[in-house]
Amino acid sequence: MKTSILTIASSLLLALGLSAASADTLADVKSKGTLTIGVKNDYPPYGFLNDKGEIVGFEVDLGKYVAKELLGPDGKVELVPVVAANRIEFLNSGRIDIILATLGVTAERGKVIDFSEYYVSAPGPSILAPKTATFAKWEDLKGQTLCGIQGSYFNKHLTEAFGINLTNFKTQPEAYRALKDNRCVGFAFDDMTLRKKTEEADWADYKIAIDPYEYIPQAAGIRKDDVAFRDAVNKAILKAEAEGKLVEWETTYGMPHAKYIAERAEAAKAKLKP
Amino acid sequence: MFNLDYSWLADPVYQGWLIRGTLTTIELAFASSAIAFVIGLFGALALTLRIAWLDAVIELFVEVFRNTPPLLQMLFFYFTLSTVGLRMTDPATGVSVPLLSAFACALISLSLFGGALCIEAFRSGLDSLPRAVTEAARSLGYSRWQRFRRIEAPIASRICLPALTNIMTNQFKTTSQASVITVPELMYYAGQIYNDTFRTAEVMILVLFIYVSLVSLLSWGMVRIERVLAFPGYGKGA
Repeated sequence: MKTSILTIASSLLLALGLSAASADTLADVKSKGTLTIGVKNDYPPYGFLNDKGEIVGFEVDLGKYVAKELLGPDGKVELVPVVAANRIEFLNSGRIDIILATLGVTAERGKVIDFSEYYVSAPGPSILAPKTATFAKWEDLKGQTLCGIQGSYFNKHLTEAFGINLTNFKTQPEAYRALKDNRCVGFAFDDMTLRKKTEEADWADYKIAIDPYEYIPQAAGIRKDDVAFRDAVNKAILKAEAEGKLVEWETTYGMPHAKYIAERAEAAKAKLKP
Repeated sequence: MFNLDYSWLADPVYQGWLIRGTLTTIELAFASSAIAFVIGLFGALALTLRIAWLDAVIELFVEVFRNTPPLLQMLFFYFTLSTVGLRMTDPATGVSVPLLSAFACALISLSLFGGALCIEAFRSGLDSLPRAVTEAARSLGYSRWQRFRRIEAPIASRICLPALTNIMTNQFKTTSQASVITVPELMYYAGQIYNDTFRTAEVMILVLFIYVSLVSLLSWGMVRIERVLAFPGYGKGA
């Protein structure tokens, strides 16, 4: 209680003193009783449609948990499907209050939004390719044509650092279709998604040809300098970690149990111990 | 309020993308306009022959390609044709790959779409010829072909120039849809740049400026052509 009063007070001071335009999402959210969350709906296990057409997933559950922490048991959530290309615009234009949509922490993004605690360490891109593919290293891909998704954060890096010739689609189904059509020798995309794909019967002839070259922490996206809200979200995330919720959701959504999440759960538990 | 940040423009990668994107846009717009022009010319010409089955074929062509969104046509050419067997074997790797590249699909779709509009434009030009002109030519002993070449085409082409300008500017703007089938034109790169930098407003303003410049240049050129070709009594020569 003491800390929350402190943070509210300090954020008020900050809001008055530094920037009159600074948002106070926490107050807004509390007054409307609903947390509007930008989530993925095409991205298992983080956010996807179940058989009933409802949006579910690891980050959706996290969002619902955060909403309950912020607004109490009667707190409502509104799920707004977003894609990589529009989520930050949606947040900064006020259409959503928070991004929980496979948002990787990068310096570029840090210039326009703030991040919460890093709750997942997500592998970067890998390459899905036919089993007959002979390349095994990123360097082997120089000059090759690969399918990708428009707006992926790693597109520039793949072009610049590895000399890959990217053919980028708007959506994943188009890219998968193009890969099957041999319009490209492989599909460069998030490792987690591609690995799930290789488990499908249709994709038995395909493999993860090249492993990710980096791991990126994943966090919630929050409007810049929205301190009170960020602190409240962070507190909720830590509580969820300490209660072992994230490990639980990993099980629910069939994810391999990540060391990163387990370690964070331990740390959160230690931190919140009275 | 307008806190515009164009520092990303200093990145040579983005500069290269914007230049390449603009060039692809110009290439696609001009190539498809040229083909559309030829389709329009021959289509309208064929219509003047008054052959029932040919008229039906051309009408069907116009209806199909004028009345379907170019975006749909592109997606159809790109994804469907290769699935139904329009493929070839890559000599280098021995893998079966689609015959039509993304650029080819966009070019075909835009050409056919523009062609359908051009047929209508040329036809309207021919139709609006005063009957007396054709009759005068006929009474002077001009053959069908001479009449078309010396009397009808020169007048009709001038009448439909403004409509052609419209179609060409439209071609220019429609090229932006080709980004959906991965043709690396201006919008394709613009999207990637604002996804990287989050400077959506700045990128959009710049892209808007590029499109306006290109299309203005085009319509300026077309007005010049109209002026040069003008003759007393019609359009700019009035």
